[in-house]
Amino acid sequence: MIYSLLVLSSPCSGQACATALHFAQAVIHRGHQIHRVFFLDDGTLTGAASMVSPQDEADTVRQWADFGVHQSVELVLCVSSALKRGMLDQSEADRYEKAAATVHPSFEIAGLGQLIDASFTSDRLITFGG
Amino acid sequence: MPTTEKKSLLVVVRRSPYGSSLARTSLEVALSGTTFEQDVGVLFMGDGVLHLLPGQDTGALGVRNIAKLIASFPLYELDSLFADETALRHHGIAQHQALPQNIEWLDTGAIAELLTRYDHIMSF
Amino acid sequence: MILHTLNGAPDSTAFRDCIRLLQTSDALLLMGDGVYAALSESCACLAIKNTGAELYLLQPDTAAAGLLTLVDSAFTIVDYQGFAALTERYTTQQAWF
Repeated sequence: MIYSLLVLSSPCSGQACATALHFAQAVIHRGHQIHRVFFLDDGTLTGAASMVSPQDEADTVRQWADFGVHQSVELVLCVSSALKRGMLDQSEADRYEKAAATVHPSFEIAGLGQLIDASFTSDRLITFGG
Repeated sequence: MPTTEKKSLLVVVRRSPYGSSLARTSLEVALSGTTFEQDVGVLFMGDGVLHLLPGQDTGALGVRNIAKLIASFPLYELDSLFADETALRHHGIAQHQALPQNIEWLDTGAIAELLTRYDHIMSF
Repeated sequence: MILHTLNGAPDSTAFRDCIRLLQTSDALLLMGDGVYAALSESCACLAIKNTGAELYLLQPDTAAAGLLTLVDSAFTIVDYQGFAALTERYTTQQAWF
């Protein structure tokens, strides 16, 4: 089966973001395909390149980035949610004349159309929030 | 092999309009679905029915007016709109006070049945 | 057949709305703060059991809350693989949080 995931929570607030990651790993392990993981609203903070985790806690940003690279899964941050939260890739940082890009390079920024496309393409659409 | 037929999508709105960014986000998702000609429904539940109060004036807050966004739904052919009549009573809103007028008010059993009619549910 | 996932403590509106809509043909997976509703003999647990739905708990969240020996036997405890297996059986998910 083909899955897409919708993540609404940041790694810093509650368990939902980490649960989504572990679920994604389990889905792959069971032989399914993940078409896209779409991060929306506070979920876009998952792509924060400069987030620093305490040494005794999981580095969820790094874990998502590694997952995306190793499993060839698209990790997409919603552009409007991302911009409002200061999550900019280099082209957005240049466009808005901001000091630095803040998005981890394993994540890409795109519009809600990518979420709708994911829903067209997927047998399962699983939402994580709270 | 990816499936390519259209999937129907129900967006469930459970939060009040201006207390959280998720509220507006949920409506933007619904509108995006219609621009891609997807079969989209919107269900307002719980505090989400508060979106339907008329006379919202956001000028002093400097935020976008959600009632105006909802009023634009017909332009996008977003007309499968549903609301929780239990929540309506809970918030003391009479049906004639709420906009838009083409909304279908559902009891608990009808909401449970509605959830089974869509391929995907995005709940906010 | 819907898989309801609940990430909200028993006093939350998420819990209240989820319980209203659970059908006997559905499944409920408690995760995050939702696991507290599985405390045996709690009002929340009784309300959930009365729905007749299939009941599941996400193991890591249940362990984190210190509940592994305190939850009602009506719940099946699953890991992330078990969560994924539920999504294979149930075609649609309704996330409550």
